[in-house]
Amino acid sequence: MRVKNILITFVSAIVILFSTSFASFAKVVGDKIILGAAISLTGKYSSNGVHTQNGYNMAVDRINSMGGVKVGGKTYKFDIIYYDDESNPKRAAQLAERLISQDGVEFMLGPYSSGLTKAIAPVTEKYGVPMVEANGASRSLFTKGYKYLFAVLAPANLYLDVAIRTAVELNGGKGVRIAQAFEQDAFSQDVRLGILDAAKETGSEIIIDDKLPKELNDMAATLVKVKQMKPDVLVVSGHTKGALTAIRQIAEMKVDVPMLAMTHCDAAKLSKQHGKNSQYALCASQWHKTLTYKDDFFKDGMTYAADFEKEFGYDPPYQAAESSAALLVFKDAFERANTFDQKKVRDALAATNMQTFYGNIKFASGGQNVDKPMVLFQVMCDGAGNCENKVVAPLKWASAELIHPIPKWSKR
Amino acid sequence: MNKNNLILYIGILIFGLSAPFIFPAFKVQLSILCILIVLATTWNIQGGEMGYNSFGNILFYGLGMYLCASVQVGMFFPLAEWTESGGEKTFVHTPSQFFQGMAVGLAVAAIIPTIVAGLIGYAILGLRGHYFAICTLGLGVAAGEISGGIEIIGAGQGFTTPPFPDVGGLEARGEFFYLLSFGTLVLTFIAVRAIYFTRFKLILNAIRDNEDKAEAMGIQTMKYKIIGWMISAFFCGLAGGIMGGLVGYIDSTDVAFDGREMGVFMVLMAILGGKGTLWGPVIGATVFHIFKEGFWTFFLGWQYVALGFLIVVIVIYFPEGIMGWLREKYPERFGEVVDEADRKAQVELK
Repeated sequence: MRVKNILITFVSAIVILFSTSFASFAKVVGDKIILGAAISLTGKYSSNGVHTQNGYNMAVDRINSMGGVKVGGKTYKFDIIYYDDESNPKRAAQLAERLISQDGVEFMLGPYSSGLTKAIAPVTEKYGVPMVEANGASRSLFTKGYKYLFAVLAPANLYLDVAIRTAVELNGGKGVRIAQAFEQDAFSQDVRLGILDAAKETGSEIIIDDKLPKELNDMAATLVKVKQMKPDVLVVSGHTKGALTAIRQIAEMKVDVPMLAMTHCDAAKLSKQHGKNSQYALCASQWHKTLTYKDDFFKDGMTYAADFEKEFGYDPPYQAAESSAALLVFKDAFERANTFDQKKVRDALAATNMQTFYGNIKFASGGQNVDKPMVLFQVMCDGAGNCENKVVAPLKWASAELIHPIPKWSKR
Repeated sequence: MNKNNLILYIGILIFGLSAPFIFPAFKVQLSILCILIVLATTWNIQGGEMGYNSFGNILFYGLGMYLCASVQVGMFFPLAEWTESGGEKTFVHTPSQFFQGMAVGLAVAAIIPTIVAGLIGYAILGLRGHYFAICTLGLGVAAGEISGGIEIIGAGQGFTTPPFPDVGGLEARGEFFYLLSFGTLVLTFIAVRAIYFTRFKLILNAIRDNEDKAEAMGIQTMKYKIIGWMISAFFCGLAGGIMGGLVGYIDSTDVAFDGREMGVFMVLMAILGGKGTLWGPVIGATVFHIFKEGFWTFFLGWQYVALGFLIVVIVIYFPEGIMGWLREKYPERFGEVVDEADRKAQVELK
């Protein structure tokens, strides 16, 4: 039975292959601190995955060129091992395992999206690997009692809370009628919960509550209902694709609604891609370049935006900014811990209290950043059709006044 | 079983049991390999032996995953509070709760999909050819969308499975899930191998070759088709349950009813190895997994292009799969009698 021989040869070939592919890196090699990250380079989150990666790379280059990280009297430089998680939680969990147990990474940066962060967090937690993540906002990440997870961003349920409250305020304190449509994923569903809470508190009524599929290309059914029911506010959240689809179809179907609140407008480059069609859209954002926070590495938002544009050729969305901030947090924590011991770095991270160009960063016991409010901006266009995002709330940072209600399509 | 066979099986068993200790860093990949082999082997019952190209086996895998996790949580804590997003409570399984939950969960994850397969099979196994394939394709997609709307299993938020309890150090989790997956693989292989020497397998082949004739011979084809599907569902459900625990997070369309990846992979692996053979799916899954992991490391961002290229090469050069190719090349090693003179004559003819 020679087939069996072939099988035996085959099995031994696997053995050899596996044993030669052992290439363990230590967390700190020479003067390098190696961080691991699984990023969505392909799949449905690929555009935001690239924003995240650009943000990380930008900060790594900046920190390295400005003297690196000083630990125990020695200077280290950051380096990142990337893998592509294909926007798939299953793969993300495997990659986290791989980064830690095969590549020997001892500190991690987060992936893009709440779902993927949810998949990775149990792994990093198990190995006690500190992870600073910049793109997982789902509230449920912070109620699981994770000790090694730190998020530089505000939790998802706060994203559009301000929009609802503003609408109620403009309505003379009376409740508004809300239509909402959310993608079936961890992040958007959490934004939805935030709206439900806000609606309850303000006595608002939810008249349409739709779910959108994951591969989001069409939401005409919801918009038809919106045309019929005439709500005061339309809320849409579904990452980049959700924002693009909503604007495209609202313009096509000429849907009139006094307030349109969304997420991911800047990541989708709405004002560039859809120009005047996206005018008046209200967008929740973790960051905007006009905010006045400062740090030593990127100076302030405007400088960061200019440097980023020079390097990558587009205006940085907040996903890039918060990713850069994650590296600043790591640097700060390493220097305060003054060691590479994971537990001590973890404790240093937990005690973080700093300002970056992106905002103040201070972690609550669940790991979420409690020192940074969300901002709302509105897409505003001039007569020539040049559109820009302008912060309209909270008032402290507002650079323009909110336009409300949105003019009807027939009058634009 | 002859002596050579026995040595081979014992060798593989020893290798399988010792693998996580020889390659401690690869435990997760090895566990996934076991799961992939289970999926390919069970798909082969339909696609290879019975000639029914099913894209619906992912349904049982996903069902098993949700069931196992739900039982594991629901046995000890209120499930609705566990999956509720933003719930302020954190439940922690004690080790005994975790393992008890896992055991009962896996049993449920195997049994319920089997019953579901029986019911659905009764309804749709009357379809043949493309109609059956398209219908089963719909099953997986529908299940993904439906489960994404059920609040008690987390809906669009996903379902975080119970974390592994704090016993036995860092490596315990990997070892536990590896042994569980390997155990399931052994169980599946033994069951499928046993079927290989029965009349049941011949009936499945008869259905593949000519279902009408098989019926005319007095075989109740429907009954056997359903039984075949139930066997697949049993092991797919088990595999799903284990995978859920291994990944730690269940998402309706990306992890559980992952027809786009797992659902297609199981078909690909069986075809790559050679469908309608016992060892084909095993070899196919192994080769596929190694290539996939390799592409992942060396062609970052292009892994699917590389994988697509591999598939094209397979289809062109190995249309019958690796086992089929070997059989054509070395028929005598597969126990076929070859007349040397006849073979020579054929070569000269060319």
